[in-house]
Amino acid sequence: MTSADAGLPAPHPAELLRTEHLTRHFKIGGTLSRRILHAVDDVSFSINEREIVALAGESGSGKSTIARVLARIYKPTSGEVYFEGKPLSRIGSRRDALRYSGLVPMVFQDPFASINPVFRVQHGVLRSLKLHRPELSAAQRLTEAARVFEIVGLNADMLQRFPYELSGGQRQRVGFAQALAMRPKLILADEPVSMLDVSIRIGLLNLMAKLRDEEGVSILYITHDIASARYVADRLIVMYAGQIAETGPIEDVLTHPRHPYTQLLLSAVPDPRAPLSVAAETDRGEPPRVIDPAPGCRFRWRCPLAIDTCAQVTPTLAELRPGHDAACHVAQTSSEEVKAFS
Amino acid sequence: MADVPVLEVSGLSVDYVLDRGNVRAVDDVSFSVDRGEFLGIVGESGCGKSTLLFAVAQLLAPPAMVAAGTVAFDGTNLVGMTDRQLSAIRWRDMSVVMQSAMNALNPVKTIGAQFKDAMRAHGKFTGEEIATRSAEVLRMVGIDPVHLRSYSHQLSGGMRQRAMIAMAMLFTPDLIIMDEPTSALDVVAQRSLMVQIKELQLAYGFAVIFVTHDMSLISHFSDQLMVMYAGQVDELGATRTIFDHPLHPYTQGLLEAFPSIRGPHVPLRGIPGNPPDLAHVPEGCRFHPRCPYAVEKCTQVAPDLYPLEGALVRCLRRHDGSLDG
Repeated sequence: MTSADAGLPAPHPAELLRTEHLTRHFKIGGTLSRRILHAVDDVSFSINEREIVALAGESGSGKSTIARVLARIYKPTSGEVYFEGKPLSRIGSRRDALRYSGLVPMVFQDPFASINPVFRVQHGVLRSLKLHRPELSAAQRLTEAARVFEIVGLNADMLQRFPYELSGGQRQRVGFAQALAMRPKLILADEPVSMLDVSIRIGLLNLMAKLRDEEGVSILYITHDIASARYVADRLIVMYAGQIAETGPIEDVLTHPRHPYTQLLLSAVPDPRAPLSVAAETDRGEPPRVIDPAPGCRFRWRCPLAIDTCAQVTPTLAELRPGHDAACHVAQTSSEEVKAFS
Repeated sequence: MADVPVLEVSGLSVDYVLDRGNVRAVDDVSFSVDRGEFLGIVGESGCGKSTLLFAVAQLLAPPAMVAAGTVAFDGTNLVGMTDRQLSAIRWRDMSVVMQSAMNALNPVKTIGAQFKDAMRAHGKFTGEEIATRSAEVLRMVGIDPVHLRSYSHQLSGGMRQRAMIAMAMLFTPDLIIMDEPTSALDVVAQRSLMVQIKELQLAYGFAVIFVTHDMSLISHFSDQLMVMYAGQVDELGATRTIFDHPLHPYTQGLLEAFPSIRGPHVPLRGIPGNPPDLAHVPEGCRFHPRCPYAVEKCTQVAPDLYPLEGALVRCLRRHDGSLDG
């Protein structure tokens, strides 16, 4: 903390949450079906204090499943999640469960569906305060609600409004205020800005950065928008078909992407400032097979660099640059920069 | 007829007739689309862009109605036509790909059966002709014709969207109207669909009107760009010109609201405030409460759409030259 206050990065940032070989499978089909959907497979990562980690990937890559496991909505099929060093599987009592959900709240994608329309906006905030901070009196709860509203950039008189009176951006700020009221350590934000208008998004991203810098909250920012991830996040995890394809400090991953999927993802980002390249790639963007997947790299059908090994051995993460890992056979064997899509 | 624009919209206004009074969702919009041209329409939710599309395609349903103006398609005014007259044009000469195209396909019919319905509804064709044409359009969008026997749930989101575009091309129309066709897709699929639309457009010469809230998406694909705000056109001109040199403060704000994946890290502000409720639009310039350059007259005088540097701009300060850069 002291070094952060001095404006220096902490030499050994304190680890807040860690997953080890986290796996979540879903059985699909009828009762007799043995088909298994591998939503998340053997995923290990960590989130430090005061850090925004972006979890990026296409739909079906398992990023929301990870958020739900971290929120204890799903139990992992195997593997473990440690929060402040303690395994989540050991949470037994209601008291512990409540404490955890207060420390690790979630902000949802759709601000039009996540706030109860028949209550005033203050209802959700006051309720979570009552539940998670029972020591506060009714008057203190109101003061606290006004305080968190202030932090997220809403006037305290907004507390008395009904959700329909608020715009999408304001509703999403209410979502963050509710999370903040519980004095969280880590906010799980699942696509928090994707439903908002472009002109409003930046304000929410700036708010997330403010929560990290001023309130010391960590955020797991789940998104498919790499540009917004770069804008706020410290580290990036790129998911593909339930596995981590690449992870590292975000600037390093974006300037030196080593996994062909990361390169494909970056080449697809619309960038008005970039020169025109319409004929650049022919990738059809078909989703990968995650139902009963065979061993081997799951990206190999789309990968222009795939070699024989890719069809036999599932690649694992290996450090290719300082703090920057990729799960790719080709990138791991070649010392130089591999460029599949550019 | 070659120099008649495919579509010429002039002075088009659309009202929602409500108990508490009329709400004007589209206010005096004029533009034209030439043969083979790609027009991008950009705006935030509630700016009237989807209502405008519905009006162009004559798909408005009460309480929405055209209050003024004309929509000339190949030189013929569509406003006031009966459904019977319209059905001769719809789908044959002008087709629409909707935002919810992901769910616009019938889940209990195969793709082929839906193509057959569309063709039967707009002409007399033999089964063989239908089968040949259906296979042909699917191939055009890069889907294997075996999927004519597939149901929509068996296709991925990107493929469903492509199938919708294939269906829109059954009769090789002059104009395809698309309402955010890529918004439900992720970036890689989105990019490849955009490239595909552009390739098809170049190959078959149809015009496209593409509505989106994501300005960066069409930066490389559209010829003309129209920016809408609160039911009005704020800026209209060549896409590249607008991206390189946006004139309206709102367009500038939209462009500066995108973080980039390249270049230096710059703090962005977005546009403060929220788009207005169309039932209570601000006096004067509709953008003035959110505009960093607003001066007193912006709060009083409603600006026109002024021609400036080859574009059209609705800004008083641009018009009188007091705003540079």
